[in-house]
Amino acid sequence: MIKKVFEKPLSWLERIFFIDFIRGLSVTIRHAFSKTITTHYPYEKLTPPKRFRGFFGHKVVDGREPQPAFDEWVERFKIDVQPGKSRCVVCMLCKRACPVPQLFEIEGEKLPNGRRRVSVFNMNMMLCTFCGFCVDACPVDCLFQSDIHETASYTRRDAVLDLKTLERIGRDWQRRREQEPDRIWIDDQQRMRLWYENDLTLPEVKRK
Amino acid sequence: MEGLLVQLIIIGIKILFILAIVLGLGAYLTLVERKVAAHIQRRPGPMVVGWHGLLQPLADGLKLITKEDIFPRYGNRFLYNLALVLALVPAVLVFAVVPFGPEFEIFGIKIKPILTDVNVGLLLVFALGSMAVYAIALAGWASNSKYALIGSMRKAGIIVSYEVVITFAVMGPIILAGTLSTYEIVQRQIDQKLWYIWLQPIAFVIYMFALLAEAGRVPFDIQEAEAELVTGFTVEYGGIKFGLFPLVEWYVEVLSLSAIGVVLFLGGWSPINIPFVGFVDPLFFLGPLSPFVWFALKVGLLFLFVLWLHWTLPRYRIDQITETAWKVMLPLTFVNLVLTAIIAPIVWR
Repeated sequence: MIKKVFEKPLSWLERIFFIDFIRGLSVTIRHAFSKTITTHYPYEKLTPPKRFRGFFGHKVVDGREPQPAFDEWVERFKIDVQPGKSRCVVCMLCKRACPVPQLFEIEGEKLPNGRRRVSVFNMNMMLCTFCGFCVDACPVDCLFQSDIHETASYTRRDAVLDLKTLERIGRDWQRRREQEPDRIWIDDQQRMRLWYENDLTLPEVKRK
Repeated sequence: MEGLLVQLIIIGIKILFILAIVLGLGAYLTLVERKVAAHIQRRPGPMVVGWHGLLQPLADGLKLITKEDIFPRYGNRFLYNLALVLALVPAVLVFAVVPFGPEFEIFGIKIKPILTDVNVGLLLVFALGSMAVYAIALAGWASNSKYALIGSMRKAGIIVSYEVVITFAVMGPIILAGTLSTYEIVQRQIDQKLWYIWLQPIAFVIYMFALLAEAGRVPFDIQEAEAELVTGFTVEYGGIKFGLFPLVEWYVEVLSLSAIGVVLFLGGWSPINIPFVGFVDPLFFLGPLSPFVWFALKVGLLFLFVLWLHWTLPRYRIDQITETAWKVMLPLTFVNLVLTAIIAPIVWR
């Protein structure tokens, strides 16, 4: 059933004394004399939440790879695993998941010892929509999205992330934020404070 | 001969003083407006140029002056420039009949702080106010753009209807004072120990509405309506020419109409009034400067009130605005006029 709701029309007394004007004016004056809620951007910067979808990066091999998936993929593709280098196993799943696949330029190379490794991994950010499908597709938790959101550059060439840049972003991320608990909004104290109206408790699910 | 020279020098000083105040203040009111708007929206506003953005108007002016002067291809260049002059000159000319304070004596010369104390001052004010419609219509026509033309037509429609209303609204105070001279009106209010707002509240409210409409302020800012008409009749103006139109419309006109409103309803330079009893002056320690401070204070408060309204209310539709003018405001002013005309002679004559 659709319930139609209309605002109560103003009475003639309210019309004469501009009660609706006064109500609006009281709201604005209250806000005018309260503290501002802005961030002075170039001078102050906010840290985005951990799940922020910013620039991409490659996590590097540091012993925290998802097991047994990583070992399986390494064995399947005979990948040359080197600590401090990208975890990428050149499976191309990111490219397959991408809605604009041509933004990926992925190539592997064969080393003299018979192992393989990624040699080219370019991502053209001019085409990217930051949807994050590639991140979901990555089987070895290599490709990820960091909290870097200042993505302006002077040339189009600078908008292409190559393997070195991706690894640098990944190392930086692992140093800064890897350990941080992955917060979702329901248990995020800071967001609870901002959105106090979301202060709800979910009913517990009873299993028989 | 000597007397004439002295008079000329005094008038010259007055003109320079008024121009400096009006244009300098007008530029700085942009900062005031931006600050007020920002704080109402919980932002700090301009903060970078100077302390709390105090030099922002200078930076804006510099930017506007150095910008390229673009002219639309099939426009009329003569009218295009004439519109600018027609907008600026009448708006500033209104200040010729605004009394800033009482007569004072300096070096043995009596000086009235009003440029010309014409005995039909108010008539001049509203005649000049009607001139604004030429500027806007010409600006819209000469720029050869649909947006500009629509904006100017809307504004012309508003001004034509509210000029009638504003003229009838100020009839009340004029009848009470018995004069059209702005200086004399304030003098009468001081003599009668009465601000006319106490007897003419309806006229004052209508005057405020007409002020908003004439100056193109919210809720009557449909001539610029940035969401639908880009910026109305100033679309095709660029650089400092674009800067001058809002300066004139939003600041100089609001200031001049606020000053006239203060003169008519709030007793000009007189301090706080208790009706029929007298005046209370909390600023007595300023001595002879106190009337000037009171006048500036009242005009400033009225201007801030207009800003406050601007950043609170939504915009009316053109038909609603003209309907209010012709069907509500005008009959109300007639009622007010008749009542005043009947009661005033009984009380004062």
